[in-house]
Amino acid sequence: MSSRGRGACAEPRGGSQVTQEILAKVKGEADYARDRLERDLLRGECLLVGLLRSPHPHARIQCVDVSRALRVRGVKGVLTGDDFAGIRLGHVIADQPVLAVDRVRYMGEPVVAVAAETVGALRSGLGAVRVSYGPLPSALTPEEALTLEVPIHEERPDNIALSLNVERGDWEHAARRAEVWAEGEFTVQPAQHAYMEPYAVLAKHAGNTIILCAPMHSPHMILEEYRSLLRDWEEGLEIEVPTIGGSFGAKYEHPVHVICAEFARRLRRDVGMVMSRREDFAQATPRVNLSLWVRIGASRDGQLITKESRILANNGAYSLHAPSVVRAATIRMDNLYKFEAVRAQAKLVYTNTVPTQCFRGFGSPQSAFAQEQILDELARKLGIGPGELRKRNAVGPGEVSVHGWKIGSCGLGECVDVVERAIARDRVEGGGEGGETSAPMGERWRTGYGVACGTHVISNRAVNPAGDFSVVRMIVTDDGRVRVSCGEVDVGGGTATTLRRIVAGILNIKESETEVILGVTAGTPFGLGSFASRTTFFAGNAALSAARRLRENVARVRQELGLDDGAPLDAVAAAAAEAGRLSDLEAEGVYIPPGVELPDDSWKGNVSPAYTFAAHGCRVRVDTWTGLVLVERYWAAHDAGRIINPVGAEGQVYGGVLQGLGYALSEGAIFSERGVENPGFLDYRVPTAADAVPVEAFFVSTEEEAGPLGAKTIAELPIIPVAACVANAIYDATGWRVRRLPMEPETVLRAGRPEVLDDHSRRSCGPTAAVVLRE
Amino acid sequence: MRDQWVEVNGHRYPTDGWEGARLIDFLRLRLGLTGTKEGCGEGECGACTVLVDRRPMCACLVLCGCVGGRSVLTVEGLPPHFVSTISQAFATTGGVQCGFCTPGMAVMAYWIHEGHQGTGHGDLPKLLEGNLCRCTGYWQLMKVMTTLARESRGCTACQSASPAWPVRGSTEERYV
Repeated sequence: MSSRGRGACAEPRGGSQVTQEILAKVKGEADYARDRLERDLLRGECLLVGLLRSPHPHARIQCVDVSRALRVRGVKGVLTGDDFAGIRLGHVIADQPVLAVDRVRYMGEPVVAVAAETVGALRSGLGAVRVSYGPLPSALTPEEALTLEVPIHEERPDNIALSLNVERGDWEHAARRAEVWAEGEFTVQPAQHAYMEPYAVLAKHAGNTIILCAPMHSPHMILEEYRSLLRDWEEGLEIEVPTIGGSFGAKYEHPVHVICAEFARRLRRDVGMVMSRREDFAQATPRVNLSLWVRIGASRDGQLITKESRILANNGAYSLHAPSVVRAATIRMDNLYKFEAVRAQAKLVYTNTVPTQCFRGFGSPQSAFAQEQILDELARKLGIGPGELRKRNAVGPGEVSVHGWKIGSCGLGECVDVVERAIARDRVEGGGEGGETSAPMGERWRTGYGVACGTHVISNRAVNPAGDFSVVRMIVTDDGRVRVSCGEVDVGGGTATTLRRIVAGILNIKESETEVILGVTAGTPFGLGSFASRTTFFAGNAALSAARRLRENVARVRQELGLDDGAPLDAVAAAAAEAGRLSDLEAEGVYIPPGVELPDDSWKGNVSPAYTFAAHGCRVRVDTWTGLVLVERYWAAHDAGRIINPVGAEGQVYGGVLQGLGYALSEGAIFSERGVENPGFLDYRVPTAADAVPVEAFFVSTEEEAGPLGAKTIAELPIIPVAACVANAIYDATGWRVRRLPMEPETVLRAGRPEVLDDHSRRSCGPTAAVVLRE
Repeated sequence: MRDQWVEVNGHRYPTDGWEGARLIDFLRLRLGLTGTKEGCGEGECGACTVLVDRRPMCACLVLCGCVGGRSVLTVEGLPPHFVSTISQAFATTGGVQCGFCTPGMAVMAYWIHEGHQGTGHGDLPKLLEGNLCRCTGYWQLMKVMTTLARESRGCTACQSASPAWPVRGSTEERYV
């Protein structure tokens, strides 16, 4: 097995060059979907699409009258649900119509689409549509939906989209051996991805092909789904992914893609849609919100034995990736520790809210918030340090976890050590005394330290039953540049840089001589896309084998053309071009992970070629009068294999941790009868520069043999332990166990001193501090 | 009556017919300068930050008619030497990921470098509070802004700005 020596990348290699992607973004020349659309508008070649959205959370559509809209000057086309009869979107459960057909199931669901030449014509066109609805009883939470008398989908009378029963090991026997138990109920909120680039789509009419320009994670897989749905089209369909302005798991299939493509086909014109932030937030597909009961049993000497959990999750009106997210939330965090037996039930329930979606961490931040707090409570009951309890039970290299993960390299124990050393140093250097015992209750500001762990997959074999793989193709142009094409996309994490660095390293050329083409389905090899932190690992391995094969081809052609061994690539390319043998200077690399299994329905099985691990620690100061939580220091240690792109890896840690702090402390979409109540950055509080926290990123560089140059990946891992880490620190500071996200001041105070809030709310509005002083 | 033109990146453009439009629409749809991005349209995210008479403003909140006769600087108008300095700084620290907030950040960086006219000296996180970024975690941007602030012309407090946060562990300690 891979020995965990100091990684070959213990010292990150030199400063980063200014890649063309970075320069284009700094100069404002990077091309996002809206930029392409507005350049078309500038030339008057583009129609604008707008959507008439449902004003009811749940209602029957009695009649749709678009006749007056068609007569509005400037309106070029109108589409309704009947134009897409029989088409159902959904990667896991195909239940989402493109436009509502006979029933609307969430506030804001698109009912009618209008295409017009100007914004004015679009508004009056949408205003001229008449739709009559028959309101139905609606449910906004899973609990309500389970007792809703009118089912949201006829084929699911109990409103349950997925019901999961998982049992590993001999539960009865193990439960008898467990002597100390800790349990708790936790609730997590629907957090918005809040990507900076609001949704925008451009469908270009190029002869007999429609080219869809839209940000998305998996262009090839989504194209295949759309082609199968639109079988009766004579026109071809291709996808071009422009620069993506952030996604974090939101941008996959979307009804607006199909609407714009259909308009472009019918009207034989370019058609595009841009959403305002308000519309984007109102229809956005947030992180799956759920309530989670967890119970963990351990022996008196601190050996974890059993874990039991029950999940009730909100699917929203339609199933996007929520079914897979709930499967991940049910099992993935168990693989951190050597549980003997695990038992879990999970229900994913349709409701009349916006559909929920996968979001960075894919269910693990939700389940970590519960599990890592219960572990802290167990550690206190057993009298063992929280870090010690985790190290004692952590999985190690070469082991098989309770759900069948074959662990390759694993630095979980070292990550906990690194974080505990950082906390110990901070306690000594005057960070603060910490712990509720050291400061009397009367003192207002309390300091505390928390620890939490996390793990994540590298791709997920379950996503594509046909197989999990990546293909990279390389050709050498006549002027000696290497053109690398791959089916994955760069979602902003630096995929192009990582691929360029691998190719330049193997072929011994400058990175600037390598051109990387991503996200264009025409002309690139099929690829599953960028999700589940797979891109560096899968595309990196494919690029590695392609580059090595290309190196051999170049050496062979160099020899056959009689050039001396030292001839650089451009000389060989020029000679080959003359000899008409440029096509010999091509290579293709395919990476299919060995030892990966297609999991069963409860996702038991080795779904990834390797796994990544993390331990986080933080110091917080809590104002016990108001419940305000300030995170003052944060330490994040990760086993992500050998780090190829240090600047990129650290960027994922700083960004992931701060996104996690927003999820932990301030973010949350508020659902009501009127839809999303806070569709804007004023009321949906994402962290700003003033909220940023000094994060120290540590990397335990284990050498992962299955990985490209020993690397694993790091895109989603850093967000997973954050909420739990902060919650454990709050408990350490105040003795208050906060079981609900976000941990806003009122939530923290209600967890610790509910009487203050009830006392305060019953009386006239005296300030909280005054109430406390009178105690 | 305000002048019927606005100076954008050194060139004057007539604003006839666009007075009631937002400045961001005039820049993007009339002049084709798509570097200024619309992230929220409500003055919250800062992706549309431009300098109007050397003071930062949200182009999505300002009507074109209100800036008649004034000079507007967009990301496309930043001096080339400044663009290469800040591109290298962003590349070295990792201050750019998806890039949608980057034009606004680049304009703010230039404004801070020029001594952040029109605002008292607030520490850097406060000066950048209006520019949201969802990818980087701000830490790298703060490092870049701190070095720029130190070389800033006209703000002594900035010149002595200590680094936003000291990173305690050296590289050896952090790459275990």
